[in-house]
Amino acid sequence: MSDFSIIGKPTAMVDAAGKTTGAGKYTDDLSLPGMLVGKILHSPYPHARIQRIDTSRAEQLDGVVAVVIGKDAPTPYGILPVGHDEHALVTDKVRYVGDNVACVAAVDEATADKALELIDVEYEVLPAYFDPEDSMKAQSDFIHDNKPQNIEKDYHHVFGDTEKALAEAACVAEARFIANEVTHAAMEPHSTLAAFEIDSHTGKPGRLTVWSSTQVPYYLQHKLSLVLEMPMAQIRVIKPLVGGGFGGKSEVIPLEIIAAVAARKAQAPVKITYTREEVFWAHRGRPRTIIDLKTGADKDGHITAVKARVVQDGGGYCSYGVVTILYSGALLGALYDIPNIQYDGYRVLTNKPVCGAMRGHGTVNVRFAFESQLDELALKLKIDPAEIRRRNLLKPPCVTINGLRVQSYGLPECIDKVVERSGWRERKGKLPKGCGLGIACSHYVSGAANSIIRSDMPHSTVNIKIDRDGGVVVYTGASDIGQGSDTMVAQIASEVLGCSLGRVKVIAADTDLTPIDIGSYSSRVTFMNGNATLRAAQEVKKLLIAAAAKKMNCAAEDLVFRDDRVGKKHVAAGDSPAQDGRGRPSPHELSTDGQASVSGRVEGQILRGSLQQKRKDEGPKDAMTFEEAVVAAIDFHGALTGTGSYAPPQEARGGKHKGAGVGPSPAYSYSAQVAEVSVDEDTGEVTVHKVWAAHDCGRALNPVSVEGQIIGSVWMGMGQALTEEMVWKDGMLMNPGLLEYRSPSSVESPEVEPIIVESVDPEGPFGAKECSEGSLAATIPAISNAIYDAVGVRLHESPFTPERVLAALRAKKAEKKIDLTEGVDPTAPTRFREHGGSLWFRGKGPARHPLDPARREAPAGGDD
Amino acid sequence: MSLPQFRLLRPRSVEEAVGYLATHASNIRVLAGGTDLIPSMRQKLFEPEYVLDVRRIAELQGIRPQRGVGVEIGVLTTLNAIEHSDFLRKHYPVLTEAAATVASPVLRNMGTIGGNICLDTRCLWYNQSLTWRKACGFCIKKNGDLCHVAPGGTKCWAVFSGDTPPALLCLNAEVEIASPSGARRLPLREFYTGIGDDYRKLQPNELLTRVFLPESSADYRGVYRKLRVRGSIDYPLAGVAVVVKRSDGHVSDARLALTAVNPAPVLVKGASAMLSGKTMTEELADKVGDLAARTAKPLTTSALTPEYRREMIRVFTRRAILAIANN
Repeated sequence: MSDFSIIGKPTAMVDAAGKTTGAGKYTDDLSLPGMLVGKILHSPYPHARIQRIDTSRAEQLDGVVAVVIGKDAPTPYGILPVGHDEHALVTDKVRYVGDNVACVAAVDEATADKALELIDVEYEVLPAYFDPEDSMKAQSDFIHDNKPQNIEKDYHHVFGDTEKALAEAACVAEARFIANEVTHAAMEPHSTLAAFEIDSHTGKPGRLTVWSSTQVPYYLQHKLSLVLEMPMAQIRVIKPLVGGGFGGKSEVIPLEIIAAVAARKAQAPVKITYTREEVFWAHRGRPRTIIDLKTGADKDGHITAVKARVVQDGGGYCSYGVVTILYSGALLGALYDIPNIQYDGYRVLTNKPVCGAMRGHGTVNVRFAFESQLDELALKLKIDPAEIRRRNLLKPPCVTINGLRVQSYGLPECIDKVVERSGWRERKGKLPKGCGLGIACSHYVSGAANSIIRSDMPHSTVNIKIDRDGGVVVYTGASDIGQGSDTMVAQIASEVLGCSLGRVKVIAADTDLTPIDIGSYSSRVTFMNGNATLRAAQEVKKLLIAAAAKKMNCAAEDLVFRDDRVGKKHVAAGDSPAQDGRGRPSPHELSTDGQASVSGRVEGQILRGSLQQKRKDEGPKDAMTFEEAVVAAIDFHGALTGTGSYAPPQEARGGKHKGAGVGPSPAYSYSAQVAEVSVDEDTGEVTVHKVWAAHDCGRALNPVSVEGQIIGSVWMGMGQALTEEMVWKDGMLMNPGLLEYRSPSSVESPEVEPIIVESVDPEGPFGAKECSEGSLAATIPAISNAIYDAVGVRLHESPFTPERVLAALRAKKAEKKIDLTEGVDPTAPTRFREHGGSLWFRGKGPARHPLDPARREAPAGGDD
Repeated sequence: MSLPQFRLLRPRSVEEAVGYLATHASNIRVLAGGTDLIPSMRQKLFEPEYVLDVRRIAELQGIRPQRGVGVEIGVLTTLNAIEHSDFLRKHYPVLTEAAATVASPVLRNMGTIGGNICLDTRCLWYNQSLTWRKACGFCIKKNGDLCHVAPGGTKCWAVFSGDTPPALLCLNAEVEIASPSGARRLPLREFYTGIGDDYRKLQPNELLTRVFLPESSADYRGVYRKLRVRGSIDYPLAGVAVVVKRSDGHVSDARLALTAVNPAPVLVKGASAMLSGKTMTEELADKVGDLAARTAKPLTTSALTPEYRREMIRVFTRRAILAIANN
């Protein structure tokens, strides 16, 4: 049944009005009587042991209500069960500049700021590690005592016989790629408001309510319970509107725990809102990743083996690190048919802010390397880059060598569409000098088949209640963070129930009211919460059907629910007196329905009086309104409620090897992109003119939303490709603000042509899969490949800043080298201080790997 | 980041304003558009006891052409007004072009020409929060005695990052400065010191009031080229302004100025002589580009590497000259 009345139509977000008028409330808009402002004291050192903290001077300041430090909540926590290495406030050591030392709750921000100055902390400074390859060689002063060599986790996977396949390959490419660190830069800075109720019996703080900008209210509830040593039932987490997450709010962020700890001690509500600088320190973004990649292919361009060694610069704590490093390896599979895969992944601790999940979690940087290398193979084998991708397609349904089950697979159509729309065949290689086209593909999970909490409970549960006046209330734990999950849930419920969207009210992400959903991350919500909503709606619909069938004197199977009407199947939709040709109630029908209009019927609503009138004229009918069906069902059944849940099927949960839990998904999205760029050969500046982006999302439930997600992904990918980079010096983040951390502005945003491909997944809700992350990863290599097409230089390090591009151009032409390392003023010193390996400040830095692209591009520097 | 507490003074005349400056000279900052001062105050780079909001002084507004003399621009004229002034576009196009590149449209609605001239010098180690600077160690420009850009040095290299001053330098602009003892006029090129932490010759009791462009600089062809990573918002990482007057296919007069690569905007010495009397060819553009690159002294005060920025001064100078030649 492809004839839907609600889904598949461009639909305005159900929360759009509040956001556009300013009436909508984000966490920082909230306040409570007696609310205090919390401010956090951050570490000035990248690695130091705390000898002593004296808060007495701060406590004595007028207006300060409480000062909290590590010992006020010493239980460790972390988002992963294997990574409980964080504390609300540090208890022994600080591990990055910006680590959380103490928090002041005071009557206003200025007082709290002043009080921070009065906290005396003595530190014993320890040797710090800024470069992951250096950090892995550490012999002492480990960042965490239980992590020798500062390796958080390493995995070594071998599927097939990679060495043999590489030895026999007709063509092998090998290179080191580096993707520098990027962060989410969500518009809304993190904010949390925590308030305890006074327990009526004890007079002490009792139940806790936390409003927070979070993607994961249930994880937050769980971690709060852990750290505060309270039962989860005593904690209520509410997610107000969230201004973007992108993964940066997909775990428990320090301020969320700190606000609760401070509120408990202060015995008053405490709100903490991060400054933009604090957002950068809280970070949890995409780690700087070093990828040594080797790919082999036969003479026809079929990939025979991939060997990857990946080192991720994870920062000071575990966060999602173990998952990130596993995704990097696992998602080498499931895009192309690769018979042999070897993967060595190292998640390394360094004394920098913590990396975590970011849009395209774990896959993006490796995909950049892989798709760049695939183009190199195509070049060597003289095969068109689009064609070599077509030759390596999977043949689903199948299970990849690393245990990933693939069912729906729209990649071939994605490639065809972008090739066709971009004029690839006619234009590739024929553009004017300095202009080029590049192609790349990517994919992503529609939620993880195994949840991080290792439990067999459903990943999503949804409850639906229908009221006597025909109002449908959906209780969902799904967290709308701007991606539109509330709208998706409303659409699915109203499609199944055959009622108009205006009837559906979504109550979401409030742990007291909504059943558990594990959160908005890894693109799981449409697939999993959508399926749970679908099932809940179907369940409650059964009650409506039974009642309506009785009323209408027909079999349940004969009933059709659509457009707020219940009709019989044998009456063709066009003939129904209740509907006009487009399936909506016709004006004629409304005007003849005298009772309803007299008693004040408005769309989606009916007044009680008219209902009572309607009930008088009972008897078999050919059609009923939705309200009549609801009233009948309530009369028959009592309460009208339904519940539905979703757990990924066993077959989709992956293999048995160590680390096999990460990567498997019930379904994968697919993306292919062509980027058109021009390169200024004198300046190295790259301009992206247009990106054609085809994305297989299974089915587009809300096409306008899918297009928005595709455009957003391309745009964010372009930021990482060209301008965004966190720059470090001695563990100091040099650009902790949106002026110097350069996300693209609207001026350089290219035209993006989103192309929706619908492969209709057998298990997705109405066939839908993910659409908000998978497109990002293709953008970076598509741009890189286009730069190669334009000017013949292969860039191995992102972002492709003008200086890096120019250095590569100069190296290619064997012209005067551009020194990317040092100041050039004659009065400037010849060496700068040690640093974390960033391009700007690469003075007396760590020795670079022989394959390090920066070393090749700029051998003249003072690197060694 | 909270704004430090201060008392707001809102004078209605230059005399009143200068009176306040004289009274509170050691502890007052002037606020016009606020796009530079307010973020810096949040970062606790300035914690003055008084903020002098001069926006109510009507006489400091507006662009007033004076026949036979030139044009007078009040310091409160917004960059947006300069960008869209038909008179300036016709006669002093290099200025409108430079004004149009400042930051973003929203900031140009607030930012003023006076503020752009007085823009505080910038450095990655300086334009940071108090917490950040404490962690890194204070520098010469604020609270400290060392330089992170040139460790061991004693000079501040914070870089002047205004877009309009190089254009104004090319136009031989003069500025009027009011003080308790009256007004004085100064060529703009004498306004800057070239020292990062003491970058302008403006006494604490003085107020910049007007900018004058002489009629002798009118109707020069002019071009401003700005290096930045994004097409909007960014400060210049290097900037080149060129003006040229031609007669009979030859250059009769020309000036070239740079910004964002030194602690002051600078006129490139020798550029006029190199260009005057010549035809603008590629070879000549190359030569002038080399000269400009030698004048630039970029350091690690800003994004992108110094050598790259210096290289771009060469490329942009060459392109600016050729753009004028081909127009």
